[in-house]
Amino acid sequence: MNDSLFGSPIRRRIVYFIVISFFSLCVLQLFNMQIIQQPRYSEKSAENSVKPIYQMAPRGVFYDRFHRILVGNKPSFTLRITPSEYDKKLTPYIEAILGASPGYIDKILKQNELYSKFLPRRIAKDVSYKVIAWYEENMSKLPGVDYVMETRRDYSFGVMGSHMFGYSKEIPMDIFQQRKDEYSIGDEIGFNGIEKSYEDMLRGNKGTRYVLVDAKQKTIGPYKNGTEDQNTVKGDDLTLTIDKDAQQVAEEAFKDKRGAVVALDPANGEILAFLSAPQYDLNDFAKVTSTEIWNQLNNDEERPMFNRATMSYYSPGSTFKMVSAIAALEDGIIDTTFKVNCNGGFQFGDHYFKCLGHHGPINVIHAIEHSCNTFFYQLILKNGLDRWSLYANKFGFGKKSGLDIGEETAGILPSTQYYDKVYGKGKWTKGFLVSLGIGQGELNVTPMQLAEYIGLIANYGKTAKPHFLKDYQDIKTSKLVNVKPQYYDIGISRNTFDIVRKALYLVVNASGTAGNIRSQELQIAGKTGTAQNTQGKEHSVFIGFAPYNNPKIAIAVIVENAGHGNVIAAPIARDIIKAYLQKDKKNDPKILAGFNSTLSGKLNAN
Amino acid sequence: MQISYKLQDRFDFAIFIPTIILIIFGLLAIFSSTYSHPTAHGNFQKQVFFVVVSIIAFLITFSLPQRTFNVFAIGIYFASLFFLVAVLIAGKTIFGAKAWFGIGGFGFQPSEFAKLGTILMLASWLTYKNRDINNLKDIGVAFMIGFAPIMLIMLEPDTGTSIVFSIITVAIIFWSGISLFGMFVVISPLIVVLASMLGTIAFIIALLLVVAALFFFKKDIFNCVVVFVINLSSGFFFDYIYKVLKPHQQKRILTFLDPTSDPLGSGYNALQAKVAIGSGGILGKGYLHGNQTQLRFIPAQWTDFIYCVIGEEFGFIGSIIVITCFFIIFIRLLKLSSNAKDQFSVLVIIGVLTLLFSHFAINVGMNLGITPVIGLPLPFLSYGGSSLLVNMILIGIVLNIYKNRKLHT
Repeated sequence: MNDSLFGSPIRRRIVYFIVISFFSLCVLQLFNMQIIQQPRYSEKSAENSVKPIYQMAPRGVFYDRFHRILVGNKPSFTLRITPSEYDKKLTPYIEAILGASPGYIDKILKQNELYSKFLPRRIAKDVSYKVIAWYEENMSKLPGVDYVMETRRDYSFGVMGSHMFGYSKEIPMDIFQQRKDEYSIGDEIGFNGIEKSYEDMLRGNKGTRYVLVDAKQKTIGPYKNGTEDQNTVKGDDLTLTIDKDAQQVAEEAFKDKRGAVVALDPANGEILAFLSAPQYDLNDFAKVTSTEIWNQLNNDEERPMFNRATMSYYSPGSTFKMVSAIAALEDGIIDTTFKVNCNGGFQFGDHYFKCLGHHGPINVIHAIEHSCNTFFYQLILKNGLDRWSLYANKFGFGKKSGLDIGEETAGILPSTQYYDKVYGKGKWTKGFLVSLGIGQGELNVTPMQLAEYIGLIANYGKTAKPHFLKDYQDIKTSKLVNVKPQYYDIGISRNTFDIVRKALYLVVNASGTAGNIRSQELQIAGKTGTAQNTQGKEHSVFIGFAPYNNPKIAIAVIVENAGHGNVIAAPIARDIIKAYLQKDKKNDPKILAGFNSTLSGKLNAN
Repeated sequence: MQISYKLQDRFDFAIFIPTIILIIFGLLAIFSSTYSHPTAHGNFQKQVFFVVVSIIAFLITFSLPQRTFNVFAIGIYFASLFFLVAVLIAGKTIFGAKAWFGIGGFGFQPSEFAKLGTILMLASWLTYKNRDINNLKDIGVAFMIGFAPIMLIMLEPDTGTSIVFSIITVAIIFWSGISLFGMFVVISPLIVVLASMLGTIAFIIALLLVVAALFFFKKDIFNCVVVFVINLSSGFFFDYIYKVLKPHQQKRILTFLDPTSDPLGSGYNALQAKVAIGSGGILGKGYLHGNQTQLRFIPAQWTDFIYCVIGEEFGFIGSIIVITCFFIIFIRLLKLSSNAKDQFSVLVIIGVLTLLFSHFAINVGMNLGITPVIGLPLPFLSYGGSSLLVNMILIGIVLNIYKNRKLHT
């Protein structure tokens, strides 16, 4: 034994040094972690164990102009699958209980492959209690499957309105990429129609519930007893300008027809009825839309997804004659004494343009009343293309109306530039103009444009941009916000309008083409049209307004392949006008009171 | 010499009281981390039982005649070796290591008892008459006494405990007066092994340093060659060992070398432990209110990560109290080593000090993120009967030595 070195003072000091320095190191590190860096670690710790669970806010509901519900919400169960935990062997069982065809789940999972596999996918919305009961019973054997309570759209209020209401769906990846700050994957977003235009009001605020989870992401309980939770805020409820009665009549009339209806209040551009037929069932989109439904809708020959009211290209036919008349009257080309002798047609160059009657000498008023083609063949030549085109443009043709659901086309309004472009300079002749005079030829319009046009005639050239939104209930401030219409005036004299309006009155109430819809109470004025159609029978067109002396409603109705305007389109227009103007006495007194006050309000404004 | 019958003179409260405080902290932390746990909720009651058994064992050890320890050293040591071999054959595997015997619902861990055996054996052998600690043969035997259990424990495998045995062996040899050269002979292979794990270049540099040191000591050529060969072969040997290690152990060593490389594996626990402690702040989140603990972010927290329960729920204050208790025990053990009545007793106390300190340093260091993640219990606090029992027996031996420091035999 080396006694001099055994436990020598220097060795003792080395051990003391090691113990004391390690102890100091620990104290310093504790001080650093628990005092200096404590906020950083606390944040980490909170992130670690707190998981937000989002709850979709119910979307705002739609009311009609008298506050009758059009589109509501109802609770529904949504079945979801989280791919990271899901066992594909379960697919047949789930498909069986859902009554889905084999491959249904695989398809949905494939469609959503782009998203993180830790995010739950909606497999089926609006599933029955039976499915939920089955799930609850077998929960332990169904890893990666869960369900949530959500609200879905309720369309059971007697109005379909598919093209105006539109639908919402889970945010598609491309839109998500652009709006990452506002949306999360799996959020719903209005995809078309009013659902899309007023998405920001309708969506409300997602609610967030914070829960504590363990390291395996299993929920243990609420975080801070729920004090940090944010409640969902429902979306703003919209009052639409739509009149439920008029809309219902329009939908009923078009049940077995194709075509479109746009009715509006000429004083302020409020859309009263809006229809593109055939419609599609919005309920199909409130569920998880399967590829089959998509294909079915897209391959349907009748093209139900296509919004005929704003997207179609129709020939206006005789309904366009007033444009020529107004242009010529306003610019002093003609007056009411100017007459054309109608012998059943008009020879221009080597082509003979027919009229449907032999009207003899006829002035502008009666030419409109009887829809004399001969008169208008000649009038457009007197006007010239540029004047005609300019006035047509004033009435909104060849441009988009600016309707608040978008999704419209500008139609085609021929002009000198247009023909130069299509045929080349000097390669087209005046003969091209002649058929434009009676609303045929290369002229194409949308029903929306026709409604705006007849509204302008009804209201002496003053109206507002067409729109669907009347007011909305701001949830945050709980104030009713009125939408201010964007008024405009196309600057045409009252005198000119008086002449044309009188002619339109005679169309219905004298010996004109729409005498079949004459009505003492409704005082309808309007114009029929028969639109040439390269495929099949002509389209039946009617545009009109009522009451004649104080127009409350202007309307354009097109029924595809239905023949003459007076036979099919005009009676539909009359029924819609009637539904709007003559509220049934059995109706809710509140609605009647509301209706009367809107009427009197408007009278005062006038 | 006069025997004082004052209690303080016969019983060292400076060690006993901090020990009891640590045990109480341990019970609190075990309760907090297990009471709502689906499988471990019975651990608190078991630990209370272990505490009772351990205190009885402590009292027995404290009351034994002092020479018992020296006399039974060889017996205890070889019994330990026997159990270490037996556990490799018939043991139960828990957490990937074959280190337990199952006895009626309780696990018995032979490596814990081997600590007792090895400390006593080393102390006894090194203080046996006419030992020369600077004789290469005597160093070799002392080294072998430590090395035998280390080898067996590495086979379980239990890296942490092997490291502790190495430290105990080196520390006892160091304290018994080995020369600087002797110390070099003992320590240099360890450094070479560590370097070999870091890569070939580090291994070569370490060997060059060994050669340089051999020139410095100016020993004869025979000694130089022997030492160099020992170093070289241990480097290769441990490289071989590394290759036969289980993947999870290799991973631990890699994580040890680069803790950030594996955030969800063994580094994950270390990170979560730091988050738990750091988020505790000055006063802690309150008992049973630490979300890291209550939400079970750290697996089996009641064993190796018990310290972060205290860090999270009792904050800086609680954490400091715990390490201060340890500090008092260590300083007190050093103090006692200088007035024990014989060299055997001194080496036993140094062994106990080294054992407790190395556990403490590795465990708390791991919890605080200053040492690598090596699975070792925190003495007196971590859940586990064998460890607590052996630690209390060791404290009993130390207090027995203290009680008898003035007695002549």
